Amino acid sequence: MSYGDTDYHDDHHGWHTPHNSWAPILMAFGASFFLLGFTKVFTQTWEGDAWSYAIHSGEIWGLIAGLAIFFAGVVVFWRQDWGHDGSYEPKSVGTPFRSIDVRKVAVWMFLMSEMMVFSSLFSTYIRYRTGIPNCETLYNSAGGLAEGTACWLPASYFIAEGGWHQETAHAALGFMPDTLIPGAINTFALIVSSYTIVLALKTAKNKSLSDAERNRKVGVYLLCTLMLATLFLMFKMIEWFIGFEVGSGDDALFYSPSLFADGFTIHASDYEYTVCHAWEGHHCVDKDVTTIDVRMAASTFYVTTGTHGLHVFGGMVALVYMVIKAFSGGYTPANAVSIEYFGLYWHFVDLVWVLVFPAFYLY
Amino acid sequence: MSENENEHDEHHHTMFGFDAYNMNFAILMIFTLIEVVAVALTFSMKGTVSMSTVVWILVIVGIVKGYGIAAVFMHLKGDPDSRVLTATALFPVFFIIIMVLFIGLTSPGATDSLPSWCRPGFYN
Repeated sequence: MSYGDTDYHDDHHGWHTPHNSWAPILMAFGASFFLLGFTKVFTQTWEGDAWSYAIHSGEIWGLIAGLAIFFAGVVVFWRQDWGHDGSYEPKSVGTPFRSIDVRKVAVWMFLMSEMMVFSSLFSTYIRYRTGIPNCETLYNSAGGLAEGTACWLPASYFIAEGGWHQETAHAALGFMPDTLIPGAINTFALIVSSYTIVLALKTAKNKSLSDAERNRKVGVYLLCTLMLATLFLMFKMIEWFIGFEVGSGDDALFYSPSLFADGFTIHASDYEYTVCHAWEGHHCVDKDVTTIDVRMAASTFYVTTGTHGLHVFGGMVALVYMVIKAFSGGYTPANAVSIEYFGLYWHFVDLVWVLVFPAFYLY
Repeated sequence: MSENENEHDEHHHTMFGFDAYNMNFAILMIFTLIEVVAVALTFSMKGTVSMSTVVWILVIVGIVKGYGIAAVFMHLKGDPDSRVLTATALFPVFFIIIMVLFIGLTSPGATDSLPSWCRPGFYN
């Protein structure tokens, strides 16, 4: 579709299409269905002495149907948005949002509900963090831990302190453990991506640029945002599941095992808490190992940071569409606000990371 | 109509005489660096930097970064609709305070006394 045409939004009656869409209702319905399906597929049961976890593949229809409805809503929304040139942007009429774009108010309403989602995760974190004794404090005060003790081992123990094997985890940088590298890079990546999205908005509003130049620049800024978001999730996967090692063995320049490899999982009822008393190079020659239960800390960490990661992924899906639209000339000074409204969501995701990073990664 | 719609967008926001977006980005980068270095110091200078000092640094950095993102990048400062949208954004704070007080700071045994229908395993 060419945006140079003047009649691409003509619906044969001479009316411009306002940006009113029923698609978000469909998306919300699909998302609810998906989440309900989730509880049917993944279950945990208390067996009297241990939890058993199960995946019921026969119940997967709910997940698929939810996703299908959600993406049907997304496709409808994109079809309606594709031709929107900024004409007849619907305005709010009632107090207190009089004369503000309906879309803008809607995004803020959505962000309010998002605040509640993350607040519930944070209040859970505060509740458990303050209510469950810290493993390291317990160990230090009692000079050891009883087998099977349920205590709080924060993710920062692995990330900001490099875990029990920290002697091997700060080979190159010295002043910080290698395990902190993915999280630190991610923090900068999100800040930079917040900047590239405002640059895309600023460029789209710039009337002094030629159409071709503006389209290219807006497209490139949005593409940068998308690439930074991809980088973010890539490092998250490295941090959770893959780990990284530069060089090998005892001579490794960087050595950062994944949280999964370290045994920090939501099933970690038999986590081997290790305290090393004597090192020989990178090898521990005298250590204390106690089996403890750290599932509460792990679940809280994965659910909160995972929910945030899911929001980044959602933003990426929207960004793919926006990049294509931008290079096709879809963003002009008249409808640049579409980028601003996506930007509000994107900055919110960044804002949540500003809280998640110190609370879960550093402290 | 579309001429008036974007009228407020034409305003050029500045911060200390520089473009607001650029300046805010620079401040965010610097404060993020402070954040990471503060934590790195607790690792490399174990025992010399107290944890409470680091927590205070993290809190202050968090407030500055949060304000920068909300005020400048999310346009909650300086635009005609900034005030009402700030009030909108702050509206859930009331519920958040209630939630933190009544869930975040409940007694440690609170979850053990939840009714069975509210605990895992009931619906299997």
